[in-house]
Amino acid sequence: MLRIQNLSKTYPSGTQALKNVSFDVKDGEFMVVIGLSGSGKSTLLRCINRLIEPTEGKIFWDDLDITAAPPADLRRIRRKIGMVFQQFNLVKRSTVLTNVLSGRLGYVNPWTSLLGIWSQEDRQHAIQALERVGIADKAGSRADALSGGQQQRVGIARALMQDPKLILADEPVASLDPVLSHSILQYLEQLNKEGITVICSLHFLDLVHRYATRVVALKDGVKVFEGAAREIDRAKFKEIYGEEAQEVRAASL
Amino acid sequence: MPIARIARNTLLTALVIAAFVVSYRVTEADFPRLFRDLAKGKDLLTAFLTPDVFTRDVETRTVSIVFPIPCGSAPTESLLPSEGPRLVPSVLCAAPLETFTLQGFDLQPNSEVVIRWRLPDGRTMTAIRTETDANGYFTYEVQARPIQSTVDGVASRLEVDTLTPVGGLKPSQALKDVMDNMFVTIFMALLSTTLATVIAAPLSFLAASNITRKGCLGTAVYYLFRSFFNLMRSYDPLVMATVFGFWLSFGPFPGFLALTVVTIASLGKLFSEAVENIDAGPVEALNATGAPPLHVVRYGVVPQIVPDFISYIIYHWDINVRISTIIGFVGGGGIGYYLNLSINDFKWNQAGTAIWAIVIVVWAMDFLSSEIRKRLT
Repeated sequence: MLRIQNLSKTYPSGTQALKNVSFDVKDGEFMVVIGLSGSGKSTLLRCINRLIEPTEGKIFWDDLDITAAPPADLRRIRRKIGMVFQQFNLVKRSTVLTNVLSGRLGYVNPWTSLLGIWSQEDRQHAIQALERVGIADKAGSRADALSGGQQQRVGIARALMQDPKLILADEPVASLDPVLSHSILQYLEQLNKEGITVICSLHFLDLVHRYATRVVALKDGVKVFEGAAREIDRAKFKEIYGEEAQEVRAASL
Repeated sequence: MPIARIARNTLLTALVIAAFVVSYRVTEADFPRLFRDLAKGKDLLTAFLTPDVFTRDVETRTVSIVFPIPCGSAPTESLLPSEGPRLVPSVLCAAPLETFTLQGFDLQPNSEVVIRWRLPDGRTMTAIRTETDANGYFTYEVQARPIQSTVDGVASRLEVDTLTPVGGLKPSQALKDVMDNMFVTIFMALLSTTLATVIAAPLSFLAASNITRKGCLGTAVYYLFRSFFNLMRSYDPLVMATVFGFWLSFGPFPGFLALTVVTIASLGKLFSEAVENIDAGPVEALNATGAPPLHVVRYGVVPQIVPDFISYIIYHWDINVRISTIIGFVGGGGIGYYLNLSINDFKWNQAGTAIWAIVIVVWAMDFLSSEIRKRLT
């Protein structure tokens, strides 16, 4: 269980990205975070693994206080939290296999891995992860030779190498062709069904309805909604996204 | 205020004109001299354009006659041969300062001829160089000098060497020396670039804001190395070479050290900027996996900067070949030093060889480095 308590984040520039946000994520949930760009979704996700240091508030994972963990402990926590990014964040010039293997860096012998030496076991593990997302044949290609959808699948395979209990997905389909959205989210859904908790930020209401077990909505850094996906109707949607918002249907594509 | 504006503009114009007048004065600019002294420049240019590259072995044959000055001080040549290579003076002896004609017959045709006096004490005085025609004939006006007078009954002799090139072309000594010195320069540049890379590459990470500038200590380290690079860069390699030259006496080693120091600063700055320009995404992703910091750099940063680094290294090798040529002028060894020596000895053809070698090598390095850099992406 992940418990977020009174989380606030104020950037040095003075921007208040999160204001006193609290909610719980139970193990095995597919929690979707929605809200406009700049509403604090990315900041929220990055506070959970402390890529961004929260200004106030606490985050507990089971009984572990993530917000108070010293650097070495934090790295041990992070390796159990996979992360998938909107821009995939692959090393473009490295091979797909190296990108996937690098997900294992929190576990392996630091000296051999620094020299680029990987055990046979890790390599097999990486190929298996690539097989799970259906692109094992691309293992030797350079990451930037792949299409966007394929790159995101490499991103998921990299997260899988961490043997994660939790996956944070920061708008994983926002940079992709809408038709590819389902293919990526189905992989996350599959992992969720195998017991990995997923916290995912999304834009399309259709996708929210289809995948979320629960939804948190942010508006200007404030939590404005928490509940089941089906509770978000058109009116609620307008409330979260503002009167100007027009829903774009992705599912129909 | 139009009047104020006109006054201001007039003042500015006057200042600009004054600045140009002063510049003209201090540079002692005298453009017409370019044309007045054209002859001098042309000779120099001709010498440079005819580099000393090939040579042929020369066979020297000498014929000589005894030539008493003044007449009667010693016996004259009793019988001049009438065939074969021979010298025929218009008179058999002469008074000091008397002028006579010296002719040579049946010598090596189309050859360079050196006419000289062998004095009674055995020393020689080279009088003049000329050439034989197709029949091996030459003629030359010679003046008898008092210094060539007979001493103790021994008369001076007139000797004529004919120099005939034999065998094929072979590289001249100048070409060999230029090539030796060129190797010194190229490898001096290579070694200094390599050493500078080894030192600058790790330091550059410390001067990259996205890697180092975190917390108080990090910020201090960042500014320390950044200002170190900037400070070192502001020293001209030539100044640095002079300093090292006085310290370690002149030669390739101080030149190499000067190049290395300047290259560390220059590469350090370029490297750190390459590190700062990387895509931050992969670094974020690797941090999120719980990878240790050094591994984040190894897997997230290094693959992104390799092409830039290689490109900068090759570019600097190219630059360093040029700079080490200049450094040679202040005693740094290599081709620049050789060129400086040649110019000081007025050996213009030899200097021409060196200049051509520099042009060819610099062009080749330039071409090579741009070709390699083109292939890196």
